Amino acid sequence: MSVLRGFLWLLVFLLLGQAIVLWLPIALPAGVIGMLLLTLWFCQRGGMNADVVAVSQPLIAMLALLIMPGVVEIFFVAGRFADQAGAILTALLLGTLASVASSLWLMRRCLPPETSHE
Amino acid sequence: MSELGATLAAVPQTWFATPIGAIGLTLAAYFLGVRLFKLMRHPSWCPPVIIAALLIAAVIALLPIGIDDYNRGAAWLMLLLGPATVALAVPLYQQLGQIRALWKPIVLTLPLSATLAACYAVLIAWLLGAPPEVLASLAPKSVTSPIALSLTQELGGSTALLMGALMTTGITAIFGVEWLSRWMRIRDPRLIGLALGINGHALGTVRAFEISHQAGAFASLGMSLTGAFTAIVLPLVWHLWA
Repeated sequence: MSVLRGFLWLLVFLLLGQAIVLWLPIALPAGVIGMLLLTLWFCQRGGMNADVVAVSQPLIAMLALLIMPGVVEIFFVAGRFADQAGAILTALLLGTLASVASSLWLMRRCLPPETSHE
Repeated sequence: MSELGATLAAVPQTWFATPIGAIGLTLAAYFLGVRLFKLMRHPSWCPPVIIAALLIAAVIALLPIGIDDYNRGAAWLMLLLGPATVALAVPLYQQLGQIRALWKPIVLTLPLSATLAACYAVLIAWLLGAPPEVLASLAPKSVTSPIALSLTQELGGSTALLMGALMTTGITAIFGVEWLSRWMRIRDPRLIGLALGINGHALGTVRAFEISHQAGAFASLGMSLTGAFTAIVLPLVWHLWA
């Protein structure tokens, strides 16, 4: 029962997010707004709701499963952009490696080491 | 005998007439993918998601059903992405102390990292002569898919190409973070998590949760902040430039 009650809480915050998105000038996904609202609620009550914790563990473990259908689609649309494939792949592979390298470098420079909890 | 054959041929259509077929196929492929991943001794260049997606694509190609039949059913499964995103509040709250202590460096580095993630790819594709439609589909490549989809529609890109770009980026980011962090001798799970979330959106975040809970929390933080920042800045910059 705890899991179902937690799921209802998640749905309530998702629905709240969907309502708030209507008022925002930019297109943010309702899930992200719901996540931020839920975090704020936890902060306000000074702890987490046990039901939400019970449902979040299996749901987060399922994330990989939930994004799979999107991955399947690539194999069926790849042909449409075949003539641009070289440019697209080079941009994605090199661009992502470059951005990973620069963000790791930046973070290492700016983040203090873990031992000093300041 | 031929009647039996006709009945047998109708079985896949019956399965995929309701979402049950697509959901069952996705679950089966997922567990098989995880098992194959273990058998292949955890190759970082080929996460279980990709193995499972290849299995599903093969089944769709072999059976007399189309990708649309599968997508219609799988949409029910993807509905859970909404509540699952909200559930990320739990790891986020658990790491709030750490995040609060680090808010200054995060605020300093994250916008620059998120900007670079979009700029490198667009610049390379532009230099190689890609048309605006392709550039608009590549720009939101490091952003979590619900935000990226609405962004690419606003910029005039292709949704299908964007999905492909998202997945390629996610896998490259997972591989890149693993490889470059070893090379740069970075072991801090917070840093690796942030890099995975900023560059590799949901795929990177899933990978970060496999590393540790802390890395996962920082990845969700990196993913959400990159998403919010890009959603605000990208349309503004795009319309100024175009």
